[in-house]
Order: sequence, then structure tokens, then C-alpha cells
Amino acid sequence: MMVLRRLLRKRWVLGVVFGLSLIYFLTSTLKQEERTIRDRTLLEVRDSDHRIPWKVRFNLGNSSRQMSQCRNSIQGKMLLTDELGYVCERKDLLVNGCCNVNAPSTRQYVCKSCLANGCCSVYEYCVSCCLQPDKQPLLERFLNRAAEGLQNLFVAVEDIFELCLAKCRTSSQSVQHENTYRNPQAKYCYGESPPELLVL
Amino acid sequence: MLLLPVCVSILMGLLAGFLPSVGMEPLPESRFGSDHTQSLESPNSNYSQLTLKLEFASKVVEHEYIVAFTGYFSAKARSLYISSALRNTNDGALEWHIVPRENPASDFPSDFELVHIRQASTSSLLTLEDHPYIKRVTPQRKVFRSLKYIPSPETPAPCNSTHRMQKWQSSRPFRRTSLSLCSTFWHATGRHSSRRLLRAIPRHVAQILQADVLWQMGHTGSGVKVAVFDTGLSEKHPHFKNVKERTNWTNEKTLDDGLGHGTFVAGVIASMRECQGFAPDSELHIFRVFTNNQVSYTSWFLDAFNYAILKKIDVLNLSIGGPDFMDHPFVDKVWELTANKVIMVSAIGNDGPLYGTLNNPADQMDVIGVGGIDFEDNIARFSSRGMTTWELPGGYGRVKPDIVTYGSGVRGSGMKEGCRSLSGTSVASPVVAGAVTLLASTVLNRELVNPASMKQALIASARRLPGVNMFEQGHGKLDLIRAYQILNSYRPQASLSPSYIDLTECPYMWPYCSQPIYYGGMPTIVNVTILNGMAVTGRIVDKPIWQPYLPQNGDHIDVAMSYSPVLWPWAGYLAVSISVAKKAASWEGIAQGHVMVTVASPAENDSEVEGELTSTVKLPIKVKIVPTPPRSKRVLWDQYHNLRYPPGYFPRDNLRMKNDPLDWNGDHIHTNFRDMYQHLRSMGYFVEVLGAPITCFDASQYGTLLMVDSEEEYFPEEITKLRRDIDNGLSLIIFSDWYNTSVMRKVKFYDENTRQWWMPDTGGANVPALNDLISVWGMAFSDGLYEGDFTLADHDMYYASGCSIARFPEDGIVIAKNLKDQGLEVLKQETAVVERVPILGLYQTPSDGGGRIALYGDSNCIDDSHRQKDCFWLLDSLLQYTSYSMTPPSLSHSHSRVASPTASERPLPQRLEGNHLYRYSKVLEAHLGDPKPRPLPACPHLSWAKPQPVNETAPSNLWKHQKLLSVDLDKVALPNVRSYRPQVRPLSPGESGAWDIPGGIMPGRYNQEVGQTIPVFAFLGAMVVLSFFVVQLTKAKSKPKRRKPRIKRPTYLQQQQTTNGKNPTV
Repeated sequence: MMVLRRLLRKRWVLGVVFGLSLIYFLTSTLKQEERTIRDRTLLEVRDSDHRIPWKVRFNLGNSSRQMSQCRNSIQGKMLLTDELGYVCERKDLLVNGCCNVNAPSTRQYVCKSCLANGCCSVYEYCVSCCLQPDKQPLLERFLNRAAEGLQNLFVAVEDIFELCLAKCRTSSQSVQHENTYRNPQAKYCYGESPPELLVL
Repeated sequence: MLLLPVCVSILMGLLAGFLPSVGMEPLPESRFGSDHTQSLESPNSNYSQLTLKLEFASKVVEHEYIVAFTGYFSAKARSLYISSALRNTNDGALEWHIVPRENPASDFPSDFELVHIRQASTSSLLTLEDHPYIKRVTPQRKVFRSLKYIPSPETPAPCNSTHRMQKWQSSRPFRRTSLSLCSTFWHATGRHSSRRLLRAIPRHVAQILQADVLWQMGHTGSGVKVAVFDTGLSEKHPHFKNVKERTNWTNEKTLDDGLGHGTFVAGVIASMRECQGFAPDSELHIFRVFTNNQVSYTSWFLDAFNYAILKKIDVLNLSIGGPDFMDHPFVDKVWELTANKVIMVSAIGNDGPLYGTLNNPADQMDVIGVGGIDFEDNIARFSSRGMTTWELPGGYGRVKPDIVTYGSGVRGSGMKEGCRSLSGTSVASPVVAGAVTLLASTVLNRELVNPASMKQALIASARRLPGVNMFEQGHGKLDLIRAYQILNSYRPQASLSPSYIDLTECPYMWPYCSQPIYYGGMPTIVNVTILNGMAVTGRIVDKPIWQPYLPQNGDHIDVAMSYSPVLWPWAGYLAVSISVAKKAASWEGIAQGHVMVTVASPAENDSEVEGELTSTVKLPIKVKIVPTPPRSKRVLWDQYHNLRYPPGYFPRDNLRMKNDPLDWNGDHIHTNFRDMYQHLRSMGYFVEVLGAPITCFDASQYGTLLMVDSEEEYFPEEITKLRRDIDNGLSLIIFSDWYNTSVMRKVKFYDENTRQWWMPDTGGANVPALNDLISVWGMAFSDGLYEGDFTLADHDMYYASGCSIARFPEDGIVIAKNLKDQGLEVLKQETAVVERVPILGLYQTPSDGGGRIALYGDSNCIDDSHRQKDCFWLLDSLLQYTSYSMTPPSLSHSHSRVASPTASERPLPQRLEGNHLYRYSKVLEAHLGDPKPRPLPACPHLSWAKPQPVNETAPSNLWKHQKLLSVDLDKVALPNVRSYRPQVRPLSPGESGAWDIPGGIMPGRYNQEVGQTIPVFAFLGAMVVLSFFVVQLTKAKSKPKRRKPRIKRPTYLQQQQTTNGKNPTV
């Protein structure tokens, strides 16, 4: 006991104790600051002056440009749409993820199966149609409205391809009575309005 | 043999200290349940249906003695004491040695030793006891223990938090619910479980599954994005270090977890301290889709799922489920999710032990559906089971769950801090999700990891539990290490689930193994799931090939196959119908063969192979054939006319069961009529299922057609055919149920989930339709609604919401009983007893060789769901009557026999006006005015595969030979694999210390990454300390008088003393 007490009286021991506590203090406080969880609340109202940084660029224009690597719509049963708006069969997908433009069935900006209200019965056609340059004003208008409505999903999109992929998916806007589609035939919509309610 | 009494007793003390508090910890959701207080007061009352009987037998083990010490000593010291004690004996040549105990506790001090002494004399034992540190010496005993479960007749509602909340007015909890159970530990272990508790130590589930082996190899889930769809997570929970994002998709303005469900689930996946999760370094994405009031909507899920796709989530845990697999927007979205390479893990449901209770989305082919077991490898009672019911009535259900894992008394993160125990498949699901996350992080080429390959690895590596059938355990218990080995030598391929068809293998292949096949029977259908790890889409090349083994009588069976035209996403079905060839009509024996399936997929982006990948899988088949049984032994179950929720509102058959208003278990002999099926099999009957209209079977083959609780309408052609069949000798047994339009209007409710009023489309059964069917014989059921206990032929019976017989031919036998008018009770809350209600009728049709008809007004006593008293004896008597024309004297001479009711009495029930049965009916279609019957559909036609016989023989055990191709477990070396050492010391909830990682098993990379920023501060701090040192040292050297200042500073001294006073042990 005496030895310990004497040891504790020594300045350097106290110094070590102090130093260690200092380290602990610094790390724990800084760690908390570092813990930046990105929290989003879908329905919470944010400051009205909060500007959402839109990363979406509308620079499609030249569709003939070559891409070394393409993103595509991944999920399709038979069809895929690449980020240039080409729809092709799965077998015509190139190794780089782009559609083989030379394949006979490959088409760009296909609006097949899409209705006037912007709802289509095939997801891949919806995405392709949405990528069409003349849909740009529509999408911009929609994005501005989404910004006001603070729709979580569309705040996170990075560019027009992601926007079209996300926009065409079925969502809370696609259902009535929760467990049925408003319109089971044309449920993928790039347009502003939800699918027209199909009355049985 | 000995169960470490020391450690166990320590554990016992610890457990007794904290477990009850954990077990009793009310789940926050229970606030909303009115009757929860009751269940809290008597947690065991919920469990009275299970009585556990423990039987002991013990015998003395010769020459072995337990030497108990007065205190705890190390192994070396114990050995020393014994040898010194025995040295004192007169018997110099005493042969003795210490029996080594190989267990994790052997490193710790113990207060006993097991000694083997040859020819021990009483004196030598006494000398042993003379030693100061030895308390006593007792002979070693061998204990035999057997556990017996005794199901008691009454089945109270299981303690399911979601069910407890249910009010009649909402279908909500019957739809998507979070799947954890309420009074946790009590549920898991039962009443007389104090002895089991010792063995079921709530250890860390990650360690039990040997996650530490993978941790030591540096895999901790880093780089894998896990989404937890649940009740949220609070921001500063101390257990999580890598919460990337929290989002709220509900209408409550919070991101925090108010229930504890979401925190627990996230903890099992990724907690880094106390109760460790599997993948502490994984990226957590918290999706709050379930409110504190346990509400969630499909639309919230749709938006949240879209966000998960956008965020490129790798693994998604959904400890939530519901019975509505007809919710197309939801089901489609889950497909879309997996098609985007999200590995979806979901809980199979807490509605066991009833069959036919699988929950969606866990019952989908592309989802990993997880069932629960306890720590003793028994299927947890609550775990949902039975085949999927999507395929009914024409087909047969798929095998689910896919795998099982610990889901009973598992420890996970508490809502704010600390740990708690929970039970439920919602606990088992994150165990698998965590394991999947950890596994995904071990794979170098992440391109190979997809929903199918992960599921293939899990099911190929799973350990089968003995004595449990595949509709309860799926492929068996999760084995993390073997899954790791398989996944790391995985090559893209197709595989099958189940991987072979052995209809003789019991009990695994129940119910197939419970009834052999024979010529003329309805084809036996096995619904195999094809998993395609090559790509999200695939197709079957040409057609599957049937290759009978000629040496093994393969030519005695015919096989027909139907399959998904496109395997998407990642999976498809292959339905194999097996029938006996005509030449084997009177043959008995085993027939074998196999089906070859080739699956082709477009090559993935990065693969070197151009064009298509193909994979060929072999499906061995083995069946037992018997000669066709006589007509009287064959019973046909009408499945075609049984409808159930989803999608329509088909109310429960027992109106007392208000907390479960829907009839959703499939009404199949292998789901909720399983007990009845087993009973009929044990009585020697062969039961087949009719999944097509009545016009589609050869009535001359069958003794009795059994129609139970039918909700469907009948085609006019069916009615005519049945009349003709009965004239020709077929018999009919109908178990009807209630149908009263006033009561039906009364039981309508506003469904919170679909936000609309729900009006039942039929009663318990469709009595008006049944009356159309039987009117030709002058029979009809009434619209009465009765309930009550009575005795019939010395059997106690309970009539649970049934109807009565309104009309019956005069020469028939009619039994009547006094029952309560439940209709009056439901409508006006009045009680009235009605005398002599006709409930049972037996009738022999007059035509020559004509069949017999038996009617009974209530189906509840043969239905497993909510059954109170079974009446299988009655079914036996009725079958004796219909099949063998033997009138049971107990019924024909019963004093309850009354005159047949006639037409003059009350009017017959009419169909409820404005019902929407036509929406769900296979018979009716919408029409101006009343719905009209559709045209009679063609009977299903099977096109038998052209056999391509081979001169092969199959191994006797098909199971062991079915594993994933090109995976040799021995080749995949596991570096640093330690032998499995379970942690013996249980961790109390208070034991948390900031960096205290229990058992110190968290390895290298984990700590490095936690402290990525720490080194910087540590360095800075160290510099400060170092400079302080240097200054001190230089000062000390320049001023050598060090003692003086200390004496001169009494305050300083005082300070030291106070510090010492606070820490007297220093």
C-alpha cells in the first residue's frame, strides 16, 4: 500500500493518468462528432429555404456518342434498357453493359406500350421513353415538384438515368386499397400523374 | 456424463438473477394489448398446452467417484490434494487416476474432481475424506433423462404479440406483422424447464454459429450494405458503429425505434459489443417502415424498397410478414428487389405449430425464408410451417422455410442500451441476414454473390435436423462455416430444392412418405424450386428428361413435368407429377429413376464465356408402389371447392376466435387438416386430393368423397355428375359450417390496411351452394348458428359455430343436441339455448347399389386451427357407414335421434346480397345482375414425359449424394480455424465497458477499423505526455531536492489520501 501511495504521489504517474484521460476525452468527443449518420425523414417538413442540390444533369442531346461502360436496368426478365435509352433483349447485351446497337431488335427511346398519361405496361419501355430528350421539361417540372414535396427517393438520384429508373418503378402512387394496382395493365409511369384508376 | 455442476450452478445463479427480468420484460407493443397484463401476470398460462414431463433414471458408475472440495481449486492443485490424500492410505498399491473432463470449463477452477479408483475400499475413501480440503466423496452416477411433450387438449391462443393486439374490427395484424413473440423466455422454454435452462444457455448466437472463425480471418462484413426494414433505430445507440443512413417511411415523425424490435434485429446483424452481431463492420441502412402502433402499409414498403434499389443494398432483412401473398404490388416489388441483386432474408412467421401458416414474403422462391429453432435444435413451436398455399387447389405447395436457425431466447440489442432476449422468427431472420452479410464480405469476387448463389450455399451447407420433416425445417439448420466453404468455391450453376425426391424417406419427406402411390390414384405432385445462380433470368433448355432406371423398376412409374417458362428472378418451379403405370397395378415395390434438367442463362457482363451459360441438374426419384387399394379404402378430399384468404374475406369457421378472423391456412389435408389426414392414414384409408372440378374424377375408384368447409360454388355439370356418381355407389360426407347473412353483415370490419370495409364473401362455409348440391336428396343446411358442448356416443364434443340440418329425408338417421344460439349472441348479445338442434344426418340413397350421404353441421372438430375437441371418432364412424355400409349403433340407437326435419320449418339461407365471391371464385364470373357460372373448364391433362430408360442403379441413400456441383468441402481450407469453444460465461446485461468485447474474440481488422481515427489522437496524446515527461525529468535533474516540496504541500497529500479513500482496493 505504501509503495502504491508513494507511486501515486509521483508527478509522472499523475501525468500519465492525466494524459490517458485526455486521450480518452478527445477520442470520445471527436468520435461523436464523426458519427454523421445521414438521416432522412420522408414526411418531415424541412426548412422551406432549404435547397436540394440537384445533381441531375440534362445533357443527353447527342445520343450517338460512344460509351465504354453502360449502366442498365439490370432487373428485366427478357428486356433491358441501357443508359443511352436503348432497349434490347438480354442476349444482345454487350460485355460492357450496353445494348448492342447493331442487333436487329435494339431500338432507342422506345415508347411502346406507353399511354398518353406517361404510364406504360413494360418497365424497360418506360425507362427508355423517359430518357427521350423531349421528356426533359416534364422531368424537370416533376423534379421541382418533388423538391417541394421532399420526396426522399428523388432527392437521392444522381442523374437522369437513375431518375428514370426510379420514376418508372411502381410506388405508393401505383396502388389503391394498398394491395391492388390502380391499373394493373399500365403501372410503370414516367409522367407526372399516377396511373389511371381502372374500375373493375 | 457429468454436466459440469460447478459452472452450471454458477450459471444458474446468474441466469436466475437476470433471466426472469428479461423474460418478463414487456415488449413495448404490448401496451396496446388489453389482455397483455393478464399474460404478464401468468406468463405460463399461455403455455399450458405444452406439458413437459421429465423422467430420470440413474445408476452408479463403477469405480468412479466424485471428490468434492471445500473451495475452488485449479486442476493442478486438485490433483495434488487427491494424491496426497491417497498417499496416506494403508493400501499402497491403490490404482487411481483422475478422469479428464474435456470441456471449456476445465481451464477454470473447480470444486470437484472425478476420480477413477480400482478396488476402492471404504477405508481409502474415508482417508480421502480426511483431507482438509476435501468435503466429501460420492459415487459417480449416470443420469438418463428423457423429455416428453404432452400436448394437452385445450389450445389457447399463443402468446403472439401481434395476435394479442387484434380486435375484430381490423384485419391488420393478419396482414403484415412484425414477427417476434411477447413473453420471450417463458415461451421458449416452457413451464417445467428449469433443467433445460441449464443447457439452453443464452449464449451469443454469432459465436454459437462460429462467426468468430470468420472474424479471425478478418471478415467482419465490411463493404456490405445491409438494410433493416423494421421499426427504426435510435441515433446514438452504443452498439452500432457503421449506421450509414436512417430513413423513415411511415407517417410518424420519428426515426427512432419505439418498440425495440428494429434495434434488436439490427443488433443481431451488426452489434459490435455486448451481444455481438455477425457483421459489425457492415454498412447499416435503417428503414423505418413499421410504426410504434404496429401499422404499416404496402405503399410505404413500395417507396422504401425503391429507395433500397437505388442505394444498391446488398442484403435486406425483413422480420415482417403477413399471409397476403395475393398483394400483387408487394410481391412484384419483392421480385423486382431480388432481380436487382438484393439478397432478401425474411421471417417465415410465428403462426406455428399449425401447418399452412407460412408468411409472405418469406414464402417466395427468390427470398430466403427463415424458420426458428431453440438452442436444443428443436423446431420452435411458434415457427410457421407447412407447404406454400399459392399453388392450391390444382398444384402442390413448395418446401418452405428454406433454412432454420436459432430464434428462441436469442440475445440482441436492447432499445436504448444493453441486451435482451427475444424469441420469434423475426429473431431467426436477422441471424441469417447477419450470416449472409458476413458471408458476402468473405467472397473476393462479389459478382458471384447473388440471391440465388447465396441461397444455394446456405441450403447446400445446412445441417439436417433428425426427425423433422422438410415442411418444418426446410434444408436444415444454418451452418455458417460450411456455407463459407461452399460459397468460396462456388461456380455459377443451377440447383434444386429439394434436391431429390425420395417418397419413401420418413420423416423428412412427410407427407409423401406417409402414403405409397398406386395405379389409378391422383398423381403425386412434388413442387421443386429451381435456383439459378448463373443469372437473374434463365430458361429450361428443351424439356426435362425422364430417365427411369431399368434395374430398379423405373418403368413402373410415369412422370410428367411442368415448369416456369422463364426462371425469373433467380428461380422457377419444376412440378413433377408421378403416377403408377398400368402394368404395375398389382405390383408392390420400389421404383427409381431421375429427371435431368438443363438450365441456360445469358452470360453475365464480366464472364469470359460468350453467349450462354448452361448447367445440368439431376433430380433422383424414388417411390414406393403398392397394389391399388379397394374402393372402400379410398377417400377423396375435395380441394377444388375450398377457398381461403387471400384475397377475399373468408371468415373463420369458429366465431369465438375473434383474434383470427380469417380462414387462411389452405384447408388442405397437409395444412390445417393434417391431423385428420394422419388419423385417416392410421385407420388404413388412402386419402387423395381432388384439385379439379367434380367432373374430373372416376367415381368408381373411390368409396367416399369428403367435402369439408367448402366455400366455392358448383358448376351445374358438377351437381349432375355427383348425383349420378352417388347413384352408382359413391358416398359423400359433408362437414359444413355456418352461413347467416345477418351475422356476416355483423362481422364486417374496416380494414386499416387496405383502408376499406371488409364484408365476408361467404360464411364459414358456402351453405347456399352446398344446399344446391344436396337438394336432390331432400337435404339442406339451415342458416342457424349454434355453439355448445355436448356428449355424443360417450364422446365429449364441442360445436364451434356450426349450422344445423334444415331438411333431411324421412328414412334417414338424424341426431339432435341442445345448443346455444350463437347467432342471437353475436347479433343481440343474448343467450338462448335451443332444444334439439339437428346436427348430424346419415342417409342411404334408395337406388340399387347407391351410395350413402352423411352431413354434419360443423367442421371445427376436424380442423387443426382453433380446434378444441377433436371428433375423429365421428369421422371414423361416418366412414364406416359410407364406405362399408355399417351403421354405427351408437348413432342409430342414440337417444338423441330425432325425426327428420322437414321443409315446413325455417327458410333456407340465401346468398348474401352484393357479395363479391365472383371475384375469387373459379366457378362464378361477374355478370349483369347476379354472377353466373363460367363455362366448365377442361379437366387438367398431364402429358407424360417420354421415358429414356437407362441401365443405372441409384445409391440407397439419395440425400447424401446431392450436393452442389464442383464443390468439395475438403478442398476449401479454413486457415486459423480453432476448435469450437463456446463461451461458458454468460454476460450480464450490465457488463458493458466501452471497449469490452466479450471473450476477446473480435479479431484484428475489426479493432483497426474501429480506431481508424484513434491513432491520430493517440499519437497527439502520447506527444503531450512525452513532453510532460521530458519537462519533468529535466526539472527533477536540475532540482534534486524532491522530498521537501512534498512535505511542504499538505493539500497535495490530502488530495492523494482522498483518492485512496475512494479506491480502497488500490
